[in-house]
Amino acid sequence: MDMDNNALIQFRNIVMSFQDQLVLKNINLDIEEKEFVTLLGPSGCGKTTLLRILGGFLEPTEGKVIFDGVDIAKLPPHKRELNTVFQKYALFPHMNVYENIAFGLKIKKMSRDVIEQKVMKMLKLIGLEGYEKKNVTLLSGGQQQRVAIARALVNEPKVLLLDEPLGALDLKLRKEMQYELKRIQQEVGITFIFVTHDQEEALTMSDKIVVMRDGTIQQIGSPQDIYNEPVNRFVADFIGESNIIPARMPEDFKVRFDNHEFKCEDQGFEPNEAVDVVIRPEDLDIVSEQDGMMTGTVDSVLFKGSQYEVIVETVPGTSVTVQMRVIDDKANEVSSADGKERISANDFFVDIEDVKALDDKEIIARADAQAWDPGTDEYASISSVKYEIKAEAGSYPVTFSTSGGTMIQKTIHVVNQPFVRNEATDEAIMAFNFFKTKGELSESQTLDTDLKTWANAQAWKLSNEDESVDIYVDYDFEPENIEAGKSYPVKFMTEGRELKIRTVNYVEEGARVGLRLDPDDIHVMKRSAG
Amino acid sequence: MKRFSQLAIPYIVWGILLIVLPMVLIAFYSVTEDGNGIISFTFTLKHYIRFFTDPDFLLVLWRSIKIAVKTTLICIALGYPIAYFIAFSSDRIRNILILAITLPTWINTLVRTYAWIGLLSEGGVIQQVLNIFGLGHEELLYTEGAVLIGMVYNFIPFMILQINTSLSKMDKSLMEASNDLGANGLQTFLRVILPLSLPGVVSGISLVFLPAVSSFSIPKLLGGGQFFLIGNVIENQFITVGEWNFGSSISLIMAMIMMATMYVVRRLEDYSRGGDKERE
Repeated sequence: MDMDNNALIQFRNIVMSFQDQLVLKNINLDIEEKEFVTLLGPSGCGKTTLLRILGGFLEPTEGKVIFDGVDIAKLPPHKRELNTVFQKYALFPHMNVYENIAFGLKIKKMSRDVIEQKVMKMLKLIGLEGYEKKNVTLLSGGQQQRVAIARALVNEPKVLLLDEPLGALDLKLRKEMQYELKRIQQEVGITFIFVTHDQEEALTMSDKIVVMRDGTIQQIGSPQDIYNEPVNRFVADFIGESNIIPARMPEDFKVRFDNHEFKCEDQGFEPNEAVDVVIRPEDLDIVSEQDGMMTGTVDSVLFKGSQYEVIVETVPGTSVTVQMRVIDDKANEVSSADGKERISANDFFVDIEDVKALDDKEIIARADAQAWDPGTDEYASISSVKYEIKAEAGSYPVTFSTSGGTMIQKTIHVVNQPFVRNEATDEAIMAFNFFKTKGELSESQTLDTDLKTWANAQAWKLSNEDESVDIYVDYDFEPENIEAGKSYPVKFMTEGRELKIRTVNYVEEGARVGLRLDPDDIHVMKRSAG
Repeated sequence: MKRFSQLAIPYIVWGILLIVLPMVLIAFYSVTEDGNGIISFTFTLKHYIRFFTDPDFLLVLWRSIKIAVKTTLICIALGYPIAYFIAFSSDRIRNILILAITLPTWINTLVRTYAWIGLLSEGGVIQQVLNIFGLGHEELLYTEGAVLIGMVYNFIPFMILQINTSLSKMDKSLMEASNDLGANGLQTFLRVILPLSLPGVVSGISLVFLPAVSSFSIPKLLGGGQFFLIGNVIENQFITVGEWNFGSSISLIMAMIMMATMYVVRRLEDYSRGGDKERE
């Protein structure tokens, strides 16, 4: 044990696994006396497990829990000088408010009048005087919550553990209880360890926040530290709203992103190291276009009560436009001689590089080949696909036929399709021209999605080809009014760089604006995986 | 809703025919003279007077209640720990154990009771085992002990299942809360688990006591002629003696006793749930 450390609670190398699943991975954490500490993280991050280890309900697989200088990792809960407020309060339903609060004192065999005195003091602290005879199951959520807190605090523990105690309350009551809890903590002057997944709750109440993820501690610090100086993308994203932008550090106090260089207050990175930059929405100022350090177009303005939330697109998305050729329905269909079977298919484009990956199934899907009985509308299967194709630009015939002998011939156009690169946003996008009949267009229920499929549109990160980028579709036609024989342009694009800004000044949607920010508004973080 | 409620009419008619009518007939028989015709009959209370003035019958009634109380107490004493163990086992083990508890009830009571005759009889397995320890001189079959064994064996599944249900339903965090507040295992059991499982115990009592007090096949088979209970008296009146009117009156007296017991048990249940009396 380390001697110069006199923190009240010291977690040392805590590892916890349930059936081969590692829930806590080497947790080290100090908690001081009289601190309000919040364990914050998404569900499954291990925060509740860590609290239950401290409460004594779980024994860690490895590691020490030092409490007041003694390792209590193996001590049962009833021998620990700490109490817990449970997630669903766990009030004893067969006891009234008084009996619930007095439970711990009766176990300790205190005299009746001492118990009464202490319970009454607690009822006063939680503001439920006169409720002592009430049935706990008939109290409101907020009142049950207070009773649970009183039942724990009456034992005068050194530490109070609270396991998501506000989760079951409605929003208004939750806010009230946040202040209430903070007040109670200051009044009794003991350590509170609070578990929550609600970042706002954590920021409001804590002296110290411990951000957890996947069984590890990501960052420990005051609410201000965590908000202003998040150590990585996860923390920045989890706490408050933020714009997170990939960037590079050419040298200390300088950061470069989206083709602009900014002064900043961060240092200690490798020259030209890839980093992430966090800019909080309230730190960006909207100015006139010529005064801006960056310029952009206002994408949307949302009224949020005290402020507007403005989205400004500073770097336009990457786009590609393809032609949709509309074909007459009949041109794509062939009927059998007896009229009992009909088959249809489309010509389609394919990239030279993708020719190798083509097989019967893929060709049927890309050509949208179908066969059916026009009398009953029942589908028939396409039994053979005949084609000869080379990985060279050109047109190649393909024949689809059914077992009944009905067949249709279409063309596969092999092209060397260029893709659009955008170094500024680290994106590339590509799509193919395509053929569709009026019927297929009017039958489409989800046209945007279908257009993406038909054009085989795809976008990806230049830095990582496996990471796909969301695509938006824009087109100018109305599916009901298209004409066979004509071509229509369809534009596919990525989002570009959009920055979220909080401001009290209204701006017009579609306006060109400039954006300014001070060096201390930029926070540079190490790039982390995921 | 109104139209649908008419669909219940056949069931009501059926229910009247099968449940209410026999009850009315029993009540009718119990207050009329023997040998009445359908048209001419005389009312009398003499069957009731006969029962309450004959010390033999009262002794049998007392014996029946005594043995039913003993059966119930043994079922609680044995059943509670088993139910506790089942309730706190893992899901898989719990399912297996519950199956094991309910399995015997798939076989007819009479058949299982005959099996006990074989086990308890002279030269049976149990006596042979006792002989090894030099304890086998006592008669086992046709004693109160044999009847008790038979009754407990037959009725204990109901007690276990009821208690197990109330224990399994209990929020496990209540036990953690109790531990957290300084109570050790025993204190947690006495102050939290036991009081919260009482409703299960109480409904277990009504499921064991009621059939035990009126049972007649088990005491007949395992008690032989020596151990006569009220159920056997009623059976005799109907089948051997042929005094249907007297038999009916004893049945009705038993029904009253059971109703009174049910009432007491209900009150106990309310009390054990606690707090409820405060509901405004």
